Amino acid sequence: MKSVIRSFSSVKLAIVLLIIITIASVLGTFIPQQRSPAEYVSRYGQMANILIKLEFTTLYRSHWFISLLILFGINIIVCTLTRLSQKVKRTFSPQLKKKEKEILVLKTKEKIRKKCDPTKIKDVLKKEFSSKHYHLREEEKENRTYILARKKILGLFGADIVHFGILIILSGGIVSGLGGFRKNLSFSEGEISAFPKANFKLRLDKFETEYYPNGSVRDWKSTLTIIENEKPKITKIIEVNKPLSYKGFVFYQSSCGWDWKNSILEILVKKRSDPAFSKEIRTKLGEKVSLEEENIQISVLHFIPDFVVNEKNEIFSRSLQPNNPAIFLEGWHENEKIFSGWIFARFPDFSRIHSEKETDLHFELKDFKANQFSVIQAAKDPGVNIIWLGSVIVIIGLFLAFYWPTREIRMILEESNGETEIIAGGIAAKNPEALQSDFKEVMSSIRRTN
Amino acid sequence: MNESVLFLTTFFLYIISTFFYFAFILAKKDNLARIGFKFALAGLFTHTMALFLRTFESGHAPFTNMYESLSFLAWGSILAYILIERKYNSRNAGPYFMLIVIALMALASSPLMPKEAMPLIPALQSYWLWLHVSVTLIGEAFFAVAFIISIMYLVADTRERQGKIEKLGLSSDKLDFISYKCIAVGFPLFTLGGLIFGMIWAYKAWGRYWSWDPKETWSLITWFVFAIYLHTRIVMGWKGRRSAFIAIIGFLAALFTYFGVNYLLAGLHSYT
Repeated sequence: MKSVIRSFSSVKLAIVLLIIITIASVLGTFIPQQRSPAEYVSRYGQMANILIKLEFTTLYRSHWFISLLILFGINIIVCTLTRLSQKVKRTFSPQLKKKEKEILVLKTKEKIRKKCDPTKIKDVLKKEFSSKHYHLREEEKENRTYILARKKILGLFGADIVHFGILIILSGGIVSGLGGFRKNLSFSEGEISAFPKANFKLRLDKFETEYYPNGSVRDWKSTLTIIENEKPKITKIIEVNKPLSYKGFVFYQSSCGWDWKNSILEILVKKRSDPAFSKEIRTKLGEKVSLEEENIQISVLHFIPDFVVNEKNEIFSRSLQPNNPAIFLEGWHENEKIFSGWIFARFPDFSRIHSEKETDLHFELKDFKANQFSVIQAAKDPGVNIIWLGSVIVIIGLFLAFYWPTREIRMILEESNGETEIIAGGIAAKNPEALQSDFKEVMSSIRRTN
Repeated sequence: MNESVLFLTTFFLYIISTFFYFAFILAKKDNLARIGFKFALAGLFTHTMALFLRTFESGHAPFTNMYESLSFLAWGSILAYILIERKYNSRNAGPYFMLIVIALMALASSPLMPKEAMPLIPALQSYWLWLHVSVTLIGEAFFAVAFIISIMYLVADTRERQGKIEKLGLSSDKLDFISYKCIAVGFPLFTLGGLIFGMIWAYKAWGRYWSWDPKETWSLITWFVFAIYLHTRIVMGWKGRRSAFIAIIGFLAALFTYFGVNYLLAGLHSYT
């Protein structure tokens, strides 16, 4: 047991763990995470299976990565605790009696003799140190006076406070991982949605998209009402960066979308042989429309808002934004398919109609309208307040450790033959320049005494 | 005066400053370094005005696209360097450091970087943009100074081993110490701005404080590298070459977080 504790108290282990966690994190940014097995196969070939088995494709929530984090957490606890007891002792009941040698090994040190009484020097020191906000302790033993003057002693604990904060953040992460809940809800105006683990419902009263003059999106605003026991409780307009909180749930404006499946399409029918002919039809997906004069029925089978073709000639929608809207159109004469193909709203002349039979007709996609819906993310994250607490502690610790560096000056005063010998040394690992200037001033104040 | 004129003036002043700093290294005359410093200071002044003007004209924080954030990073780096030089008299680092600043300014003014102030997309409309980006970039500016000083350390150390003693300038011990000091200042700022303000904003905008998005992960990686630097140094007593190497890796990680992630890895933070 002791040897286990000892190995966990080693800083070397901490460094090794940190290096492994760092390398793993780097890997996770180069291997795309949480994609479909098919995508991994096309990317890595035979390696894909191994990567998936070793959980490299869900690296940050893999068993081994989380185990590493837990090991690291234990390492931090043991390291911090084993050092803390020493530090507490050093702070609250420091050993004042030091050997001359121990003081003279310090980088900043001096040994002088002065023809005057040690009590006089002590008075000078008291005044000098208190004007510099040092905290003074002294002890007399066997004709010697031991003095310890310290400043910003809290800085000594900075690192431990940071470690404590990191542990709280890690535990907050565990709480979030186990108890967190997150779901995207899509609403049209007027729609009410219930969702798991809550005893209230959510209604979207109004949804609007605001645009900049250049046409890009400025903001999405959803007016939400919380309905509890069939009664409206709260109504609030949420936007990106301005969520609504209710009973531990937070509702975010995530994005918006269009209900393309129910879009209303306007198609312009033209004839090649007769430039004067033009007819507009309004239709929906799957609906059949008759062009009576031709005895042809047409119907739209697909609508794709952002048409792209990949290397494998597969057609899909790059996004839900209407960047390159296209429809797939079929024309039938009785039970015979005459033509079918893609028509693009942005490129009216570039239709890809395959005619099984000669046709005189030409189609253009004039307009398309769909209801916009709002995408709202409902999230419950019980770990989040723990994370904030940990963050505050980490920051306090860091600022203490780096911006509040401890300074320590030790002295031994010894009287012999009417003279006082002063052995002095100081240390401030994180701010040696400031300590040196303090030290010089203190020593010169001793020299000035008579 | 408009912003682009001020930007060019600043660029010009930095180039003159670099010129004087190099003259100082070659001619070994302290006066030249002092002139270089004054030009850098003048550049900082016009640069500050340019940033103010940009903010005023666009109505949002001056670091929402690559041009703006590069310019802001150059500003933060000059500020960090001026503070360090005043404190540690590290003039020798001046010419090399100014080169980095010039590179940042040149990159910012390259035609590849769109310069028009674009309206902010919804996720960026928050005062956390100010807090998150500015504190992070200033932290990174200190890492940049540590990077230059660490390289100088490696050069000085190699020379000292060969028995050459620099007449002018800093001993390798001093360089090692200044590099540590820069990291000691930068690390808390980077933690606060990059990681903690980042988490708070991510929670407000995206509903989760941490999503292992590439930019987040690379910020954490940068943080780990500097954590390794601090622990090997403070607890295990590493100094000199090994510390310098870690400081260099740390800055390169920060650089990758800042640039590489935007262009090579897609994620939530893909704003260019």
